[in-house]
Amino acid sequence: MLQSEREKMMTLQPHQKAYVQRACFSREGATVYLGHLDLMTCFERAARRAELPILYSQGYNPRPMMVFALPLGVGIESRSDYLDVSLEVPYDPVLFTEEMNRCLPEGLQILRSKQIPEPKDSIMSIVTTATYRFEATGIREAMNDAMKRETLIVTKIAKGKEKQTDIRPLLLSIKKDGGEDPDAVEFFASAGSEKNVRPDLILSSLSLYCGMDKETADSARVIRTGLFSGKYPKILPIDETPIRKFEDFTN
Amino acid sequence: MKSYPAPLSKSDLMSVESPARYVGGEFNAVIKEDMMEELEKTGKTSYVRFAFCFPDIYEIGMSNLALQILYHVLNESAFVACERAFSPWFDMDKILREKDILLYSQETKTPLCDFDILGFTLGYEMCYTNVLQMMDLGKIPLLAKDRDEDDPIICCGGPCAYNVEPMADFFDIAMMGEGEEMILELCEKIHEYKQSKDTDHPMTRAELLRNCDAIEGIYVPSLYEVSYHGGALVRPVDDGVKPVIKKRIISDLDTCTYPTAPVVSNLRVVHDRSYLEVFRGCIRGCRFCQAGFIYRPVREKSVDVLCEQGRLLEKNTGYDEMGLLSLATSDYTHFPELAENLLSTFEGHHTSLSLPSLRLDSFSLDLMEKVQSTRKSGLTFAPEAGTQRLRDVINKNIKEEDIFSALRLAFMGGWSTVKLYFMLGLPTETDEDVLGIADLAKRIEKLYYDVGRETGRKMRKLEITVSTSLFIPKPFTPFQWEPQNTKEELIRKQHLLKDNMRSRNIRYAWHDFDSSVWEVVLARGDRRLGPVLLEGYRAGHFFDAWDDHFHLSDWEEILNRHGMTIDEFAREFSEEETLPWDHVSVGVSKKFLLSERHKAHEEKTTPSCREHCSGCGAASFGVGECFAKREVKADAAE
Ligand code: SF4
Repeated sequence: MLQSEREKMMTLQPHQKAYVQRACFSREGATVYLGHLDLMTCFERAARRAELPILYSQGYNPRPMMVFALPLGVGIESRSDYLDVSLEVPYDPVLFTEEMNRCLPEGLQILRSKQIPEPKDSIMSIVTTATYRFEATGIREAMNDAMKRETLIVTKIAKGKEKQTDIRPLLLSIKKDGGEDPDAVEFFASAGSEKNVRPDLILSSLSLYCGMDKETADSARVIRTGLFSGKYPKILPIDETPIRKFEDFTN
Repeated sequence: MKSYPAPLSKSDLMSVESPARYVGGEFNAVIKEDMMEELEKTGKTSYVRFAFCFPDIYEIGMSNLALQILYHVLNESAFVACERAFSPWFDMDKILREKDILLYSQETKTPLCDFDILGFTLGYEMCYTNVLQMMDLGKIPLLAKDRDEDDPIICCGGPCAYNVEPMADFFDIAMMGEGEEMILELCEKIHEYKQSKDTDHPMTRAELLRNCDAIEGIYVPSLYEVSYHGGALVRPVDDGVKPVIKKRIISDLDTCTYPTAPVVSNLRVVHDRSYLEVFRGCIRGCRFCQAGFIYRPVREKSVDVLCEQGRLLEKNTGYDEMGLLSLATSDYTHFPELAENLLSTFEGHHTSLSLPSLRLDSFSLDLMEKVQSTRKSGLTFAPEAGTQRLRDVINKNIKEEDIFSALRLAFMGGWSTVKLYFMLGLPTETDEDVLGIADLAKRIEKLYYDVGRETGRKMRKLEITVSTSLFIPKPFTPFQWEPQNTKEELIRKQHLLKDNMRSRNIRYAWHDFDSSVWEVVLARGDRRLGPVLLEGYRAGHFFDAWDDHFHLSDWEEILNRHGMTIDEFAREFSEEETLPWDHVSVGVSKKFLLSERHKAHEEKTTPSCREHCSGCGAASFGVGECFAKREVKADAAE
């Protein structure tokens, strides 16, 4: 099921009070090579193994109510991604974290969690910006070069068709406190349901226009280091973003 | 936990389909850390390192129960460390060859050649070439005679191991029957062999293989020679070797260890569910069905044990579906009790029960109402043949009245999807039998609308799927002597059926012919096929189980070049000739199989083991159904 369908199904169900854990997680090792659907399944199964009181969607094919802030593509590591897990009862976030970590496969880890009021805005809808760290020989210079360009036209494949698109407007800035390592660079980029840029497209623009060879670009290590809400540059990490409550909305 | 990254670059992994197949890291996977430390420090370990090899892709292998069972049994033992390996798909195969990277295990990414023993599971004949691919990619000499003390022992098990002759050149050892006990006995021998290497009298590989021959159920092909006059006679090379290999079974399934914490794939696989094995064997005795004979006698687990195993499986895997596994679920003596019990365990957990091979009656329909996963897939019947006459020939104990009364109930309950499974090319089949399939489908269609009229309800669109597979005469069945129809004849029958079954409610799905033609060659083949398989593999043929990658004409050409024809294996075998698998005993006597064959031609049925023991010989194992309620007829059992 697509994440969007899943979302729709969940908002369509008769409302049942949910206690939401907003969890921050990392991914590395073998699980990096999972697609997003497989990743979601891993979390679902872990929550089931942990015997957490998860809420399920209603209907024909009930699924655990878990919403991920932003899909994590194959090959991308993460140091802070987020998901909301709806539980039937209030739950101690520390216990939630421990229980999940006991049951997650190697490479996936909940870093922290907090219980939040049931949010009006889906966690997916608040994401606007991500930070990525790329590691590959000479990548800092290539990225600096990319930022100096007016346009970065790349070919992306959407719905089976090739499409030309300019990703330059989606690259926001190179992170100042990211160090001076010539073989690593960290930057802000648009992310989320409105504007989003996939890291592999950035890498392919680096090999197309910024003098990196393709093999090096393709082998670059890609780590998502943060996800934020708000209008860039006034952004906040997802788990520090104030919550608009579901009740406020219904009343 | 320490992680063991795959010996591949990120761009290599990113360039293949489903890279997650090649990286391991699954929940419940076992790594013996003390062994890894020992290896790191000294370069050696006293553990027997076992690579469980599945000769097909990861997603299929991870749905295999034998893999999960033996992985668990081996790792439970204090002196064995078992890891898994799978066939890499073409894209990865190419990378491994080009970059000279050895095929490695999922857990510690150890190259296959560094293991003490490789165990292949042979679930279907068409995977044979993938065994060669995996050995080749693991830098292991393919022919058993070319391997020396430094190479791993290569063994196999599973249903195809009973006639392993076509693969006899490649395996050191074949295990006949259920492996839980035998595999540990084998590992003990390897442990001794390994320990002897540090002594003044190191054991040779040949000595080890002789020692293994002493284990019941173990076949060492190199200790047998074959002569071909009027069949293929396989004989021990000397008196020190056992003349008959008798399959092993587990006497008590309740006390036998079962994997209640199986490895859970991170990648969604073919059957994303946990498996609860309910019983082994089958009381029925359909004459075409190899499983029905090789797994005899029936041995059941008790309800209490099953409920506890079910509870643990659900908790330890997190799967939202559990499959009950056996050859015929409804034949389990306490089936209603088990089903109710499991459903109440799963209450509120959103876990569904999948019930394959269910005999349809009012109880099972009622049950299926409660079980969502079945609702989606529709009703399934396997009459196998279109007329009662032919069903009697094959001893398929399913009566039309029963199908129709079950369907009437189901249609009244609102079901509208029916799947029907048949076989084409069965012994004695005539056009009338083929047309009987179309007739049955049409009468089911009519019943549906009759029910609609009677109840005055508005009915949904009816969907009937008729699937035909092709009959393949398999060793150890009463039909092991029967010929296979020629490809032309099968095509003709298929068209006959298709042309006479046109309806917008009926869909006809058929099976590929080519693979069935080759399957019979491998299933009834002998050692002369070794060089054929080797040549085919060298010419780039593997993944033969995948229709798109199987090329019958190429194989036929190679076979002919080696002086053989497909017909030699598809022909009717004479009852007098020695069969290539006559030196193997599955417990069911050849005499019994022969009498069943004769009864088939007389259109006479044989009752199930539960109604009446027919004295097939499997009582010699001394357990199970044969001793359930009545004394076995001692005179009939051999
Ligand atoms: S000996 Fe009798 S009861 Fe036992 S498997 Fe054979 S036919 Fe069935």
